[in-house]
Amino acid sequence: MNFSLLMILLTPFFGGLLAYAASALHKSVRNIFFLIFMLIPFVELPVYLNKTVDNFYYLTILGQNLSLGINPLSSMMLLLFTLIFFLSSIFMMFEFNDRGEEGDLAVLELSFLEGAVFGVLLARDILTFFIFFELMAVLVFFLVGKGYKEAHTAQMKYITWALIGANSMLAAIVLLLFKAGNIGYTEIAGYLSTAPTSIVLVTFILFAIGFLIEASIMPFHVWTPITYAEAPDSVSVVLASVVKKVGLYLFALFAFSLFGLNLFSKLLPQVLNNSLVMYILQWIGALTIIIGTFIAIVQEDAKKILAWSSVAQSGYILLGLSLGTPLGVAGGLLHIINHSIFKGLLFFVVGGVIYRTGTKNLPELGGLIKKMPVSFISMLLGIIAVAGIPPLNGFNSKYLIYEALIQKNEPILLTIALLGGTGSFMYVYRLIHSIFLGQLHEEHESVREVPLIMQIPMIVLALLALLFGVLPGIPMYFVSKVEAFLGLDPIKYNLTGFPEQPGLHAGNVPVISITFVAGLVVAGLLFYLLPRARKVHQLDNYYAGEVLTKDVKYNYSFGFYSFFDDIIAPFNKWSVESVYESFVGFIKTAGDYLRRVYTGNLETYVSFGVILLVIFSLIYILGGILW
Amino acid sequence: MVKEILTLIFTPILAFFVGIFLLGFKRKMVARIHRRYGPPLHQPLLDIIKLLSKKENISHGVMFDLGPVMYVGAAILTVLFLPIPGFKQLTPFGDLIAFLYIMVIGSLGMALGAGESGNPNASIGIARALTLMLGYELPLIIAGNTLVIKYGTTDLYKFMTLQSGFHWNLFLLPLTAIAGFIATYGAMGEHPFDVVVAPQEVATGPMVEYGGKHLGLLMIGMAISTYIETGFFVILFLGGGANILTFILKQLGVIIVMTLFDTVFPRFRIENAVRYFWRWPTLIALVGLLIVYIGGK
Amino acid sequence: MELQETLEEGYVEILDHLRKRSLWMLHYCTACGAIELPPTITSRFDAERFGIAPFVTSRQSDILLVTGYINIKTLRRLITVYEQMLPPKYVIGFGSCTINGGIYWDSYAIVKRLDLYLPVDVYIAGCMPTPMAVLEGFRTLMKLIDEGKANGWKKYQENYEYYKENQRKVLKW
Repeated sequence: MNFSLLMILLTPFFGGLLAYAASALHKSVRNIFFLIFMLIPFVELPVYLNKTVDNFYYLTILGQNLSLGINPLSSMMLLLFTLIFFLSSIFMMFEFNDRGEEGDLAVLELSFLEGAVFGVLLARDILTFFIFFELMAVLVFFLVGKGYKEAHTAQMKYITWALIGANSMLAAIVLLLFKAGNIGYTEIAGYLSTAPTSIVLVTFILFAIGFLIEASIMPFHVWTPITYAEAPDSVSVVLASVVKKVGLYLFALFAFSLFGLNLFSKLLPQVLNNSLVMYILQWIGALTIIIGTFIAIVQEDAKKILAWSSVAQSGYILLGLSLGTPLGVAGGLLHIINHSIFKGLLFFVVGGVIYRTGTKNLPELGGLIKKMPVSFISMLLGIIAVAGIPPLNGFNSKYLIYEALIQKNEPILLTIALLGGTGSFMYVYRLIHSIFLGQLHEEHESVREVPLIMQIPMIVLALLALLFGVLPGIPMYFVSKVEAFLGLDPIKYNLTGFPEQPGLHAGNVPVISITFVAGLVVAGLLFYLLPRARKVHQLDNYYAGEVLTKDVKYNYSFGFYSFFDDIIAPFNKWSVESVYESFVGFIKTAGDYLRRVYTGNLETYVSFGVILLVIFSLIYILGGILW
Repeated sequence: MVKEILTLIFTPILAFFVGIFLLGFKRKMVARIHRRYGPPLHQPLLDIIKLLSKKENISHGVMFDLGPVMYVGAAILTVLFLPIPGFKQLTPFGDLIAFLYIMVIGSLGMALGAGESGNPNASIGIARALTLMLGYELPLIIAGNTLVIKYGTTDLYKFMTLQSGFHWNLFLLPLTAIAGFIATYGAMGEHPFDVVVAPQEVATGPMVEYGGKHLGLLMIGMAISTYIETGFFVILFLGGGANILTFILKQLGVIIVMTLFDTVFPRFRIENAVRYFWRWPTLIALVGLLIVYIGGK
Repeated sequence: MELQETLEEGYVEILDHLRKRSLWMLHYCTACGAIELPPTITSRFDAERFGIAPFVTSRQSDILLVTGYINIKTLRRLITVYEQMLPPKYVIGFGSCTINGGIYWDSYAIVKRLDLYLPVDVYIAGCMPTPMAVLEGFRTLMKLIDEGKANGWKKYQENYEYYKENQRKVLKW
């Protein structure tokens, strides 16, 4: 029994308790303990990179082994999540600085959340991951409540959906426990390879419901927009970058390691070279992409745009993973890494803007580029990454997914995915325009840049996005090890791109970057050799001769894409949310009828009792006569 | 090797002059359709020289300055990823899908620069430009996918060489070519889809505060973009060319047909433009896709 | 020094020779004289063959056409627009009202001489001038540019205080 993995698991829990205890002394002591314990996993983890070890530690309860272990997929995500948690904790220190008791509880809960996430990633049997998964849901529930005005509605929506997912997964776990008699991953995989088709299908669907709720795929995404938007900003980063990826990690692990593509091909009919289940999941992914993108375009709240964008990008990851080919799975896994980085970056920048200006409503912001230049440059890199434009990292993963779709000969899905890419360009421009460009409002004249330490998360993630974009070999090193672990042939790559291989045209991002820089140099030379431009005040604008004054707000911000809203208006009527709302309404009405049984009148209750007694006696007597 | 590098350096200059010629030809042709003499063929060059030689220029900030610089830089980048007859240029490093994304970098730079100017007309123009891009990309993507399925490759140079002789895609896949042609209309901002630069409505949209050397750089970028977009259509559907002269002649043919429609149509509103793109060209392209998909099996 | 000066002068001469063929006018119709602009630009009296095209923003155009009578409100906007244009820029007084007040010579609300407030390069007389006269005015401006005599914008910069004094008297700024 090796205790080192257990130490990795227990470090965040221990750190959280210590920080909470230290908060009784002083805030800065709490902060120091918090940050130190967030840094420790960086030191502990590199030993276990790319190793697959089962049963590092186990605990025997009631005859079953609850075990921990590590594999390449877990280690890749552990490294990524440790970074995101550390940067988010820096941000949390500033955000909860003057909230007193709430800040101490938030520190405790974030540390425990990190521990729960580590637990899910390090689990080697289906009961352990479930326990830590539920712990994660409870902690997210508490953390979301510390947010903005509508946080309580968000909490209720989140916990309802988390419970639906939890019950679905619990049903599958109990079914497998009874049928297989053991809970370890390898034993379950062995049982499933010989199980009847109905058991395989039912358990897969029940597990998939649980995981896809966490990963916010349609039609289970209705909790995502309001929860991401109303949570505090450091928690939003963790929600979008970590919690969502846990659902996708479990999906990848279960679909490829436990169930396996061969099992699906054997038991289920084939549709166009895919097994039926995987084909349906591809279409669900494509629908998520396009619907998420179109709804993100017409939002008026900065964090809601990012939340719907996360929904759309999950669709990309699901599309890549359910393709099942080495190219597709590599694209999906690479997009997991890239999406965590650039979505975390965008949430950090928006959080910084909210920290300084106090509002996240887009029509109230504008023109902050001169006051917050570092945030502007970080957000510029972030939006180039979301749109999937070279030389940032979004291009590499989307490129792999597109090429995988071409290899599988699926033009309609490729069209939907490419259209989603163009649409993402629209909402991402809206975000940067309404916050940083345009007219500066009078009440924001005194806004300064965020504090220096708070700029560190943004700068680190922006540089990482640029590095992973220009040199895709660095994340591909981890991704190829994971592909080998999941049983697929890893795709060929080198430090600067992807060489020519069957199904993949060569792509070389550094060449694109260097050519772009050369073009910029040529244009810049031509520009700067000509007479210099003098700066004019922003109000010195062409407006048919009128002299503009400061008190008039002429910024074009509200209803930026109102004409797009008109175009998709007929489709807005079919909304998934209205289906759930009508279901809730139906339950309320049914409950209303049932409530009338409780009249509060003693005679009614006694008469009910007598009638039921008579009915049951009749059944007993008649039953005794007949049989 | 040296010949390749020399061609790489020479291509943006060639693209600029071909673009000037095509733009001047278009203005002359519009004038002749209106039954008047038009400006001389080198008129766009005179315009650019006049703009670049203004004695003073104004600027609204650093991003405002960087807008045209990024536009021209991205135009130079994009033109190097288009093959010309006999030379591969940089196509071994990026295929059709990478090209679709590289084409967008210039518009992003211009959009950021125009947003910095603080004029609401510019923001309205850019919102319309992005919505229009969503409109015309759908038939263009479906047309591109049809070609990818037919040839089994995404390399632009192979698209050109596989259509040598007279096996042009215009004759082999007529429906797809028509859809691609209408999509190219939207990309180039011709009537009836020039709602982006509607002079009478939004004071030329994104370019409202650009003057002097900024506008001069933008016009250089526009000349290179004309070359890129017509060249893209020629490579995909008109079979490239045996040498550079036939290539330019085919681009001229595309401009002539486009101008014939351009002069007679009024302007669509933005909602009508996007709805139109999502209706008829998409249907035509889908029918073309179905033909290739089922025929290939 | 002398070589550099002659080179500079030759450079400016060549530039003026090329620039005069690409003048852009601001399509800013201030008063009734603007009705003569559409016939000038369109098919019969084609002004585009000289490179003269209508543009919408003051940042992009070279010629400010003051078409017709100028009352105080219009003068205020005209001065703002003129100062937003980028040099080298030219002002053309279009119609008799800019020369001496025209048919509004005894009105209290009309400015009688444009020359006191903005530097005018070319006047086109008439009420309204026919398109042929407009084209003749444009060609005169092109000839002046070629000879290097169209320096209204330099005059404005050198005598800025004089012009501002006149403007303040009328506009009550």
